[in-house]
Amino acid sequence: MSAPERKGASAAEPEGTPDRAWLAAGAALLVPGLGHLLLGRRARALLFAVLVLGALAVDVVLGGPLPYFEEGIINTLLTLASMGVGLPYFVLRMTGYHGEALSLGFEYGKAFIATAGLMNLLLVLDAWDIASGRKE
Amino acid sequence: MPSHFLLMVLYALLVSVFFTALWRRERRDQVRLFLQLFLGLVVGALVVAWLMFPFPSGPPTPAP
Repeated sequence: MSAPERKGASAAEPEGTPDRAWLAAGAALLVPGLGHLLLGRRARALLFAVLVLGALAVDVVLGGPLPYFEEGIINTLLTLASMGVGLPYFVLRMTGYHGEALSLGFEYGKAFIATAGLMNLLLVLDAWDIASGRKE
Repeated sequence: MPSHFLLMVLYALLVSVFFTALWRRERRDQVRLFLQLFLGLVVGALVVAWLMFPFPSGPPTPAP
């Protein structure tokens, strides 16, 4: 079958290909801002990386937790949200960081790390939308 | 540790800048949304705190 006869031939496809969208979303999931960087949004990528990693850094500075699956649905959701940060979460875990439960900033840190993860998950969706041509 | 209020302002700042950059492209729209989000979070928290003031949660927990 010649190229023009194929269904979904490139001429009829939108600018963003599924492969590109998967790559951008995967990169965004691994490292905050990397998805936007691959899509050529350098300034935006830098800003998003600073915001997400900054929120993670605030958690660590406050002695906040690095949530991991514990008993209860709330802790499970908190862990999943925190894992949204991507590789930095797991790198931090490998260093043995667990937070300081007696720290005055422990609960505040929890809010910051969960927010960092959720922000990065939104960035994954944003990178997907940009790569697939749904958003500029 | 910084004060509770400063941490709240820092949190509001992070979230406001994030959603402004995510949702708006034009500078004027960005400024407007940033102010709406930031002031909404900070002023909203103060209003809720003020409303909750007559209803304390109980005696303070002893320091460990």
